[in-house]
Amino acid sequence: MLKRYGYDYRLDRGLEKKYLERLHPRHITTKIIDIIDETPSTKTLRLASVEKYLPPFQAGQYISVNVDIDGIITSRPYSISSSPDETAYYDITIRRVEGGFVSHYLLDSTKIGNTLQISSPSGNFIHNPIIHSNKLVFIAGGSGITPFKSMIQHAVNTGISRDIWLIYGNKNSEEIVFDDYFTMVAKKYPTIRYIQVLEEGRARYNGYITAKIIKEVVGDSSNKTFFVCGPQGLYKHILKELQTLQLKPKQIRMEMYGVPTDVFKQKGWPEDVNPDSKFKITIKNKKEFTVTAGEPLLNSMEKNGVIVPSLCRSGECSLCRVKLISGKVYQPEGVKLRQADRRFGYIHSCAAFPITDCEIML
Amino acid sequence: MLTGGFMEYDVIVIGAGNAGLTAAATLAKKGVKTLLIEKHNIPGGCATSFCRGRFEFEVSLHQLSGMGTPERPGPLRSILDSVGVLDTLEFVQMDKLYRMVVPGLVDITLPANKEGIVNELQAKFPEEKDAIKKFFDFVWQFFMEVIGAFYLNDPDINQKKYPLYYKYALKDTQSVLDEYFTNPILKAVITPYWTYMGLPPSKLCFSDMAALLFSYAEFKPYHIKGGSQMLSNCLLETFYRNGGEALFNTDVQKLLIRNNSVYGVKTSDGAEFQSKYVLSNASAISTFVDMLDDDKVSRRVIEPYKGSSIGTSFFTIYCGLDCEYDKVGINEETNFICNTAIPEYDYELSKVVDTDQSSFIVTCYNVFDNAMVPEGTSQVVLVTMKYADAWLKVPPAQYYDEKHRCAEAMLKNAEKVFPGLVSHIEEMEIATPITHMRYLNHPGGGAYGFDQYVKDSTLFISPKPPINGLYCAGSWYGSAGYQPTLTSGHSAAMAIVKDIRNK
Repeated sequence: MLKRYGYDYRLDRGLEKKYLERLHPRHITTKIIDIIDETPSTKTLRLASVEKYLPPFQAGQYISVNVDIDGIITSRPYSISSSPDETAYYDITIRRVEGGFVSHYLLDSTKIGNTLQISSPSGNFIHNPIIHSNKLVFIAGGSGITPFKSMIQHAVNTGISRDIWLIYGNKNSEEIVFDDYFTMVAKKYPTIRYIQVLEEGRARYNGYITAKIIKEVVGDSSNKTFFVCGPQGLYKHILKELQTLQLKPKQIRMEMYGVPTDVFKQKGWPEDVNPDSKFKITIKNKKEFTVTAGEPLLNSMEKNGVIVPSLCRSGECSLCRVKLISGKVYQPEGVKLRQADRRFGYIHSCAAFPITDCEIML
Repeated sequence: MLTGGFMEYDVIVIGAGNAGLTAAATLAKKGVKTLLIEKHNIPGGCATSFCRGRFEFEVSLHQLSGMGTPERPGPLRSILDSVGVLDTLEFVQMDKLYRMVVPGLVDITLPANKEGIVNELQAKFPEEKDAIKKFFDFVWQFFMEVIGAFYLNDPDINQKKYPLYYKYALKDTQSVLDEYFTNPILKAVITPYWTYMGLPPSKLCFSDMAALLFSYAEFKPYHIKGGSQMLSNCLLETFYRNGGEALFNTDVQKLLIRNNSVYGVKTSDGAEFQSKYVLSNASAISTFVDMLDDDKVSRRVIEPYKGSSIGTSFFTIYCGLDCEYDKVGINEETNFICNTAIPEYDYELSKVVDTDQSSFIVTCYNVFDNAMVPEGTSQVVLVTMKYADAWLKVPPAQYYDEKHRCAEAMLKNAEKVFPGLVSHIEEMEIATPITHMRYLNHPGGGAYGFDQYVKDSTLFISPKPPINGLYCAGSWYGSAGYQPTLTSGHSAAMAIVKDIRNK
């Protein structure tokens, strides 16, 4: 047919794009349909699509929420805390961050009925049935519980075979998110174990999550896959603990969790630069402004009206990649730069802290 | 300031794929004021990489052809040299073409030289010893004629001077193989490179197959240190150094046409950029259908391609192993793992979603480049041809499950040749035709452009569309693959330079 009559490609205009929009739309406009108080410092925003369709996602993935706060256009990633089989909405669960900017805005200034623009779901903190064990140890700290809520609820709702140990560390009992839900499913399903660890107050385990606790709760760890999500403090501590369990690297999955807020205390930070030190940033052919060293370049750019795409804001996804023409930036450990990008001076602006005057090309 | 509206350039290049980057770098080097516009946030198109865990995965480059040695340079080496990137990049020569395995039937590894190939094949297929020698002599003679006629620009090409070319150039590969050989396994073992072109031997022009064999054996396959992203970044750097300007994260929406002449482009944020020349490295369908406003113009320009069908895409599993590659039985960089010795059957399987019977290529990137991986680990990529059509019928809600199901089936077959592979996978990413469609913005996720039938090749369809000032380069307007697309970008840029100078 094709050979004889030919095909008019104009007929297909936009068709494939429509399919892609069903999986990976660039942006989704959502409406807040419910706001649920979880703890004194934590709320869940329930987001439904204005277009009545939300793309599927994998439990553990996140969305990036785009906001315009008093003229500053920025974004923040939040793990989806609802299950993928609940297709009518995405839940994001937000904790008030001390000195936070977007968390305060989302907690204090949004109402049911407001619209929020979000990215399509993204991220690799997911269970891969081919290479990960079905015996899963989830280690969560504070608000890092959100992807696990999605994973556990997904297992419960769909009946997929999973053996789960959730070890959840919090400062005190007041801060535990989804406590009722986890208590309920742990009671109902013998394959889900819920272990609380509290720094203060009464619990089965007190203090931080340690290898000793893990061993006691989980038993043999050699046949299990460990998923870890929590604030920076948790990672530093838990990695050392996990090392004593002699796990293979493939057994440990770490979710990214922003960049260190105390970057000036990290290894390799120059002694003569304070977090408050000021530097001049020149965006080639665009503008000049002054920034403080302790703030990620991406945030400083956004505050000065220079917008580049962003998603993970943790140095991984490379969407905010820019070229450093001159000057120096501090890049914390673990930033996932391509070899070729490192060689030709590209940086991930979300995980780059200016430590001299810099010239940047977008 | 780059605000558009009044910005004028000599040339605007749309798309920073292999062809767009080479074109832009060539133009800037020749002092032509050039603007490069790319939709994505990173240059390269297919020639890119991504990071997962402690691994950085090469997306598409398997074996770079046409390089040759510094003493005996191939055509690509000369182009990269003239663009000015040769000395910045490091190339590693491979000494083998490939290992090909059909479990239970054959397991053979061919070296990257004619004599070695013949010896190896003769040892495995002694009953067709003479035919093997004859066939390879013939392929070489045939290709010498091609070089004499085309690469050396013979002004008088005739049948008497080039008898083999006249007889065989447009024949399909299968019928030539049938002329020489009887054993179907032998035929399959000689031609697994058909997957680099996207059409099985019965549909693949013999000239193309001869070019692949000759070029890989004479000029050797190469790996680029640091992967294909290194090449892309390097080309862009050269472009910048020579005064080129680039806009990333910017989508060209329309070509601006007046009196059948292009005068610039309009981007999706409404900015207009003016230039007398536009070179498109976007797909033919994006360029001729989406970017042209007037349906009449669009129809006329796309007319030559109405008989072309959208080419294949791929299903790819990127694996980071937590061990050295030899621990799972991998010894070669390139491995063709086939389910049967019948390429025609394999080709038909590229039209379905399922992978349980698919043949595939296993490439281990750190065989030739230790810097590709952290110490004690390996990077292994499994890829099979898949058209997008079947994938476009998968309901989005089942998409992720299908991905995992198909990956599992393909890995199960890989285990037959590389036992223990799956248990050593630390990081895995799966790409489907939909993934390629999303990142390349190509219809059908086609990395090879249209199906590479000879009827649709540059022999019959000119890559220069009938709009003044509009030029095109890349896999959609000719041959696919690294060498052809890099070359086409260079050629289109040189054609523009020539046109500017003649005015």
